[in-house]
Amino acid sequence: MPISRRALAAAAVALVLPLSACGSGGDGGGSADASGKVEGDITFQTWNLRANFKSYFDGLIADFEKKYPGTHVKWIDQPAEGYPDKLSADAGGGTLPDVVNVSPDLVAPLARAGLALDLDKAAGKYKPEYLDGAWASHQVPGMSGTYAFPWYLNTGPLFYNKALFRKAGIDPDQPPKTYDELFADALQMARKSGGKVATLANVPTIEDFGRYGVTLMNKQGTAFAFNDTKGVALLTKYKELYDAKALDPQALTATPESSGKKFLTGAVAMNPGSALDLDNFKKNAPTLYRNIGITDQITSTGHVNMYVMGVMVNSRTKHTPAAVAFAHFVTDAQNQMSFAKKVAIFPSTAGSLNDPYFTKEDGTDETRVRIAAAKSLKGAVNYTPVLFSDQMKTALRNEVAKALQGKESPKQALDNAVNAANRLLQQG
Amino acid sequence: MATPVRIRRQLPFSPWLFAAPGLLVTGAFVLYPFVSTLVNSFTDRRTLLPGHFVDLANFRELLHDDMFWTGLRNSTLYILGVVPALVILPLLLALLVQKNIPGITFFRSAFYTPVVASIVVVGLIWVWLLDERGLVNSLLETVGIGRVGFLSDQWLLLLSAMAVTVWKGLGYYMIIYLAALANVPRELHEAAAVDGAGPVRRFLSVTVPAVRSTMVLVAALSSVAAFKVFSEVYLMAGPSGGPAGEDTTLVMLVQRTGTGLTGRVGYASALSVVVFVVTVALMLLVLRADRRDES
Repeated sequence: MPISRRALAAAAVALVLPLSACGSGGDGGGSADASGKVEGDITFQTWNLRANFKSYFDGLIADFEKKYPGTHVKWIDQPAEGYPDKLSADAGGGTLPDVVNVSPDLVAPLARAGLALDLDKAAGKYKPEYLDGAWASHQVPGMSGTYAFPWYLNTGPLFYNKALFRKAGIDPDQPPKTYDELFADALQMARKSGGKVATLANVPTIEDFGRYGVTLMNKQGTAFAFNDTKGVALLTKYKELYDAKALDPQALTATPESSGKKFLTGAVAMNPGSALDLDNFKKNAPTLYRNIGITDQITSTGHVNMYVMGVMVNSRTKHTPAAVAFAHFVTDAQNQMSFAKKVAIFPSTAGSLNDPYFTKEDGTDETRVRIAAAKSLKGAVNYTPVLFSDQMKTALRNEVAKALQGKESPKQALDNAVNAANRLLQQG
Repeated sequence: MATPVRIRRQLPFSPWLFAAPGLLVTGAFVLYPFVSTLVNSFTDRRTLLPGHFVDLANFRELLHDDMFWTGLRNSTLYILGVVPALVILPLLLALLVQKNIPGITFFRSAFYTPVVASIVVVGLIWVWLLDERGLVNSLLETVGIGRVGFLSDQWLLLLSAMAVTVWKGLGYYMIIYLAALANVPRELHEAAAVDGAGPVRRFLSVTVPAVRSTMVLVAALSSVAAFKVFSEVYLMAGPSGGPAGEDTTLVMLVQRTGTGLTGRVGYASALSVVVFVVTVALMLLVLRADRRDES
């Protein structure tokens, strides 16, 4: 029997149409009420933590299941690379885990899509356990509520290569403390090394503008505003550094990994980092380790930058009480403290930073870095606006690059970046 | 005596049953994504937010998007830079390794190795080689030329990525040419030699016409691959697409625009539709040129 083209087309449509229903999200989900009995199977997703902390999380989960009989936590871990894409695939496919490790910029789109549980409503009683700033870091401008428990915080010092400083005639015991000193030292380093050693390896990012004292958004949080006089001044200075090779010529395409490598090889004299890096220097660059200098992040605002991790509860979880209880358990003072003793991170719970572990010197570099970081964290700020998406970061980076190459004036470049970011913001 | 085999009458839909597994896979992984992309290109859909029908707004927007024109320029330049090299160099290489001399298998394998190597590994190795302080720049400095910004200059970066594409593709197309050369009658070469033709003349008058259809195939395959280039440029220029994004290709732009939690799926779909149309147009152009030459 011949099959007509129309029948064939109908068969194709019949095949395709049911598929088109895929990816339209979950089933509308669970309840926002976390007051019921803590029980059921939940899934917990972390962000690249299994390789180094498997035993810690196995213990944590066992403790939780012991505390709440009738619960079972399935732990999954995702690699660092492509984590936002994994989250978006899960969110689109309705397979987002019940409890998810997030950062503020990741939680914002999930909250706007209605996928993050409002913890002010579901778990507001826990709010006093955390530092005020940390709790507020997962709030989204334009929305009421808080969409993740604050987890660990991180900040880091600025490392510098004393040998390169000495060679350039800069006192290695007097590292730059202000932006003016930094720019002056960087120009001297480039001049004395004949342009072979740069002081900085990265173009300024949104957090650099924030640390320089630039107003990043308007007061209502509805538009970006980093094209003000201060923003233009910072970019103008960076242009001067770039022309003098005080900013690495490959900075326009640099990644944190590539600039870290340049610091290891002595091509760059300063690089931001954390206590974790000391181990890396010790193993991979012993000469650098012998010459390592450690100084505070440079800031014009008096507040250093901090990175915040959070633990979000999926609003569509079928076991809201268990998911909320587990997210709180992971981030409570006791568990954050024990995690902080395993790796160079800092708890976001109130009072934890006053623990002797973060205040008492023992003569080692690691402890010195830890104590300095913990001290600076008390007044630290997460400068990256929650709504500053990856696309906005790329737009800023490209415009900054155009200014550094002289294709646009710093003012024009920042105006363009602000316009692009605002356009993306309005598109939702 | 063997038992007679009873053949049942074939049911009218039996061929479709045989084709069903293939059709299902094609439907789910080719047809559905294609239709979905086409539909999305007319919406303002975001990764996590359902879209609304926006008519041709995405296509109008891309006409005014500088990054789209940058991507189109770079993808086109990629074709112009890579395709001639990938049509000619593998043919010369195939002629070189075609001869059966001792140890030639080693060279054939060596030329083919880059094809099977992971593009990520290859990309990283080239980044190390071409880095400001890499091997190539150290050699250039030693001979007095000075350092060259292979990875910091917009055009050199694109050229470097093209070089990697050519280097990686040589072996693949060499194998295709080797198969074609094996079918060229030896007598033609002998007759040409008797008539006094030298090696260059024999290459132009015997070899090239004999492998002409293979050259068209290589041109078509490599131009489509070049237009859709992603990995080499992404690895060498970084996720931002080089300084100020000036080395971004169209496929990189699709990836950057459409992925992540705030991805603009609708706009990225419109870009994908443009890539599809240009790719099909390229194929048709090459095949048409071939047909015209034949006639």
